[in-house]
Amino acid sequence: MSRSIKKGPYVHESLLKKIKAMNAKNEKKVIKTWSRASTILPNFVGHTIAVHDGRKHVPVYITEDMVGHKLGEFAPTRTFKGHSGSEKSTSLK
Amino acid sequence: MQRELFTIGKIVAPHGVRGDVRVVPLSDFPERFQALKKVYFDDGLMLDVEGVKFHKQFVLLKFRGYDSMNDAEKLRNRLIKVPREDLVKLPEGHYFHFDIIGLEVYTTAGEFLGKVTDILVTGSNDVYVAEKDGAKPVLIPALKKVVKTIDLAAGRMTVELLEEWE
Repeated sequence: MSRSIKKGPYVHESLLKKIKAMNAKNEKKVIKTWSRASTILPNFVGHTIAVHDGRKHVPVYITEDMVGHKLGEFAPTRTFKGHSGSEKSTSLK
Repeated sequence: MQRELFTIGKIVAPHGVRGDVRVVPLSDFPERFQALKKVYFDDGLMLDVEGVKFHKQFVLLKFRGYDSMNDAEKLRNRLIKVPREDLVKLPEGHYFHFDIIGLEVYTTAGEFLGKVTDILVTGSNDVYVAEKDGAKPVLIPALKKVVKTIDLAAGRMTVELLEEWE
């Protein structure tokens, strides 16, 4: 069942406080968080948030199309190594 | 010297009775199978591709000389490889994972952070894992504002790490 609209999206309080403080100062620092359940709000866009995957903090850059999703969706907790030397590509965002 | 080969797919089963094989693409570019002419295997076996079809999430390949289900069965669970010259041509600013893994990572100040040992795919930016002996791995987001240069010829990457919130 989805969360009641009346309540609004859930965001961990301290995370929101840090984002608001950085936006006010126009700063860009990496924020470590364990709150995988926090929803990405529009004022998160452009920040890099290090989301805990159970072992380490994975730095995730927030873009506009991620708004509305949860932070945990971008820090997978299970790693599949795959086949070495396969034709997978990477690029800088 | 043995030729360097790169994996593009895995044969998971025969398909039908005419020798086709079902392949799971292990490439970011499954459409690349359309132009496939020759494939290689680890033991040096080389096969000519006679036909390519797409079926659900699989690619169906037909190899010359493999005309029955029994022939196709011999190829089950084998990895399909191609040499470097047959890899997909990547656009500017794109790199293969196997080229990035192994690069030495330095900060813009010249500090050695380790070698890239893994690439995490997050759904947003990729993350390069740099490790060196006796130190915690450093996770480097693959962002233009962080990764300043990638020099594949020199085997070196220069990064400017972002400041952390204290």
